[in-house]
Amino acid sequence: MLKKDLILKSPVERAIGIENIAKGQFGAVLSRAGVGKTSFLVQIALTQLLADQKILHVSLDDPMDKINLRYEEAYTNLVDNIGYVDPQKAVRLWDDICPNKVGISYTESTFNTDKIRDYLKSFKKSDLALPSIIVIDGINFDKDVSAILEDLKGLNQEFGVFIWFSMKSHREEALSEDGFPVQLEAVKNLFDKAVFLQPVDDKIEAVILKDGDRIDQKHKLNPATMMLAE
Amino acid sequence: MIRDLERVRNIGISAHIDSGKTTLTERILFYTDKIHQINEVRGKDGVGAVMDSMELERERGITIASAATHCEWDNHAVNIIDTPGHVDFTVEVERSLRVLDGVVLILCSVSGVQSQSITVDQQMKRYEVPCIAFVNKCDRSGANPLKVSGQLRDKLGHNSVMMQLPIGLEDKHEGIVDLVTMKAYYFEGDNGEIMVEKKIPADLLEEANAAREVMLDEASLFSDDLTDALLEESEITTEMIMAAVRIGTISRKMTPVFLGSAYKNKAVQPLLNAVLNYLPSPLDIENVAIDMDNNEETVALESVFDKPTVALAFKLEDGQYGQLTYIRVYQGCINKGDTLVNSRDGRKIKAGRLIRMHSSQMEEVDAIPAGHIGAMFGVDCASGDTFVSPSVNYSLIAMHIMEPVISLSIVPKDNKAQINMSKALNRFTKEDPTFKTYVDHETGDTIIQGMGELHLEVYVERMKREYQAEVETGKPRVAYRETITRKAPFNYTHKKQTGGSGQFGKVMGFLEPCEEEFEFVNKVTGGRIPTQYISSCEKGFRACMAKGPNLEFPVTGIKITLEDGGFHAVDSSEMAFQSAARGGFLEGYAKAKPVIMEPIMKVVIETPNEFQGSCMGLINQRRGIIQGSQEEGVMSVVESQVPLSEMFGFSTILRSGTQGKAQFTMEFASYKQVPQSVAEEISKKKADEKAAKNK
Repeated sequence: MLKKDLILKSPVERAIGIENIAKGQFGAVLSRAGVGKTSFLVQIALTQLLADQKILHVSLDDPMDKINLRYEEAYTNLVDNIGYVDPQKAVRLWDDICPNKVGISYTESTFNTDKIRDYLKSFKKSDLALPSIIVIDGINFDKDVSAILEDLKGLNQEFGVFIWFSMKSHREEALSEDGFPVQLEAVKNLFDKAVFLQPVDDKIEAVILKDGDRIDQKHKLNPATMMLAE
Repeated sequence: MIRDLERVRNIGISAHIDSGKTTLTERILFYTDKIHQINEVRGKDGVGAVMDSMELERERGITIASAATHCEWDNHAVNIIDTPGHVDFTVEVERSLRVLDGVVLILCSVSGVQSQSITVDQQMKRYEVPCIAFVNKCDRSGANPLKVSGQLRDKLGHNSVMMQLPIGLEDKHEGIVDLVTMKAYYFEGDNGEIMVEKKIPADLLEEANAAREVMLDEASLFSDDLTDALLEESEITTEMIMAAVRIGTISRKMTPVFLGSAYKNKAVQPLLNAVLNYLPSPLDIENVAIDMDNNEETVALESVFDKPTVALAFKLEDGQYGQLTYIRVYQGCINKGDTLVNSRDGRKIKAGRLIRMHSSQMEEVDAIPAGHIGAMFGVDCASGDTFVSPSVNYSLIAMHIMEPVISLSIVPKDNKAQINMSKALNRFTKEDPTFKTYVDHETGDTIIQGMGELHLEVYVERMKREYQAEVETGKPRVAYRETITRKAPFNYTHKKQTGGSGQFGKVMGFLEPCEEEFEFVNKVTGGRIPTQYISSCEKGFRACMAKGPNLEFPVTGIKITLEDGGFHAVDSSEMAFQSAARGGFLEGYAKAKPVIMEPIMKVVIETPNEFQGSCMGLINQRRGIIQGSQEEGVMSVVESQVPLSEMFGFSTILRSGTQGKAQFTMEFASYKQVPQSVAEEISKKKADEKAAKNK
């Protein structure tokens, strides 16, 4: 019950729809630096954990400890958002779902898709369920990333794992005709979903750039907790 | 013996395996003129380092038992304990930290903070031991002492402050810049024994000035004089800086970082100076004891020679002349011939021969005064015992001892081996409280228990070499536990009244899960169970905890509340209520959804990046949960939690899967419920064993 309540209250449910999170190939969360891409990605991953799925979070920015801390904070924010929850129940649920989360920390120079492939292969070898999504946080889309994306496309096809990316945009850059940041415009054909976060007044506005019939929907989020502010 | 305690240092050298502890200690002994020849640890010259006195240590290239040694530097007495870095030997480290005043934490300049460094750091926190850091192996390819200092901050939360800068790194490592004296030091002579002071090279001057600013900034927090001098831009003396850093270090608010290469004989002497300058003397540390005659009130001990003696036995060794007991004297003085009392069992002993240790060689002394570490011969006691003058009844706080998690059956090969094996086990269990042994009454097997596979392997090997006791080992057994998962009532009557004197006892209450191992609460009122039988009830319940009703594993985590009962004026007795309690326990237990729990180990693998994926795969195959992985330079660290039962033989598998380049550490994390399939497997195995025994 608590799991269902948490999923329903998740900002991701409202913005993207839980049923869409792991369908397709690639998804992106875009924004300028510091607006909340990683926090939103973590909320995406949390919905999968609450649905008893495994997730893999790869970070090129944060060390492992920080990744784990982000997940703890995101879970706490989600729990606080639904009103009163028996603390023991919340802790027990976290203990249940936490083992399904694996965080791997790389640097830009050491990240390569073969390592992720090896890791996913080991699941198959041991007959274990694969992660439903992989979050890759910190790839620099200002550079030419076609080779990496090609490799990751291969991973998606081979293992059926949906991959969510963070994409950093820049204030001074103009948006494309479709209203996409330059970074997404270059690779938009590979992406099934994209959410753009931008500060508006004292809130964060999540704009759906790509996602079937939810295009152009906007949702206001609390910048401190990433929970729905409306 | 130096009696001015300000000039005494009791220090430990702690670190992760292969950080260079023993090599460093070897150098220290050389420079303090205790030994006359340097011998490399891995035995290239066929001799092996002096400190690793056990053959096995030299062979394996790891330090197993802690060795204590005494030396003198700059008119100070320095007692050093070299301690093992492998997590299976954590009890040795714990033991040493209990008695030391300060620690030199060695870190490899390439690998930096590793998993055992974290364990050692936690131990240092527990015993509040101040430390200085030495970034070793600056001659290695990839050496980066500044990065290591950063890791001390980020991973261990230390306020680490560089006190030196390297002059060259890797194969260009020549010396160090001392940021306090602002001089450069080089090390000449065949063994680097001649320390030469020169001006700082011009190309390092800017960096040195900047680093000194940072150091002074941090140090000034501990000295008003230094702060004033900085603000007024007046003269800053070396003494001012040292005094401030010393205060910061002793209060554990600062960790000064030094660097060098023990193997290449670089910068060991400055480290020795740092030990004297920044680590505490016995006078700087407050030690407390518990007054057993005064409601266990804490008593502050003073490092003075004329007060009642208080000493801790922290290590035992059975040598050819009898038992050698290492002691730290906290107060008073143990003179040859003194009478002391063991406050644990009240036995009186006479202090016979007193020894000061130098690795495996002894030096006889007349006394061991407060603040010093020494050893006594021929005293029968256990590790952790407190020795006091007859006029007081104090006890020092016992060391934190972990329960063993793995056991192994051993069978001696012949009769001679049986006798020698018993002698060996007797000695080892006295020396090491985490190593236990017992005879399984059902199978007749001798079982040894310890903290990991390596822990037990080493003892089996030592039995063979030191006692000529060859044994065959069985498959390691995991220390499973049983517990309950819900509250359940019991209402049991034990009745045997068939004529003549009978037995009668009735107990009513409930069992429920709890955090503690066992809790008993008596809520019986109105004399429904006479008071004299309540303790019998508790005894009966406790007896059931030793062997679970289902699978005979020890039971843990149960709170039993006794609410009501009944008795018979003639037939009730202590025996009857013990039996009633046992019956009540069995009844409640069956309804309380009992489960089996297994030890889960924290497994940390350090591997070259190329093998990260396959290491994670190995964990996945073992019902392990990967908590995360991080790349650090050329190596990756994979942290996971894995059931102990899946870890046997893991070192071989890891070695073969990573071309021998990965290593792992394993320590107990917690007990967790086993999955249903595993529970069924365990039950079946137990049933088969029972059936085989009954045939």
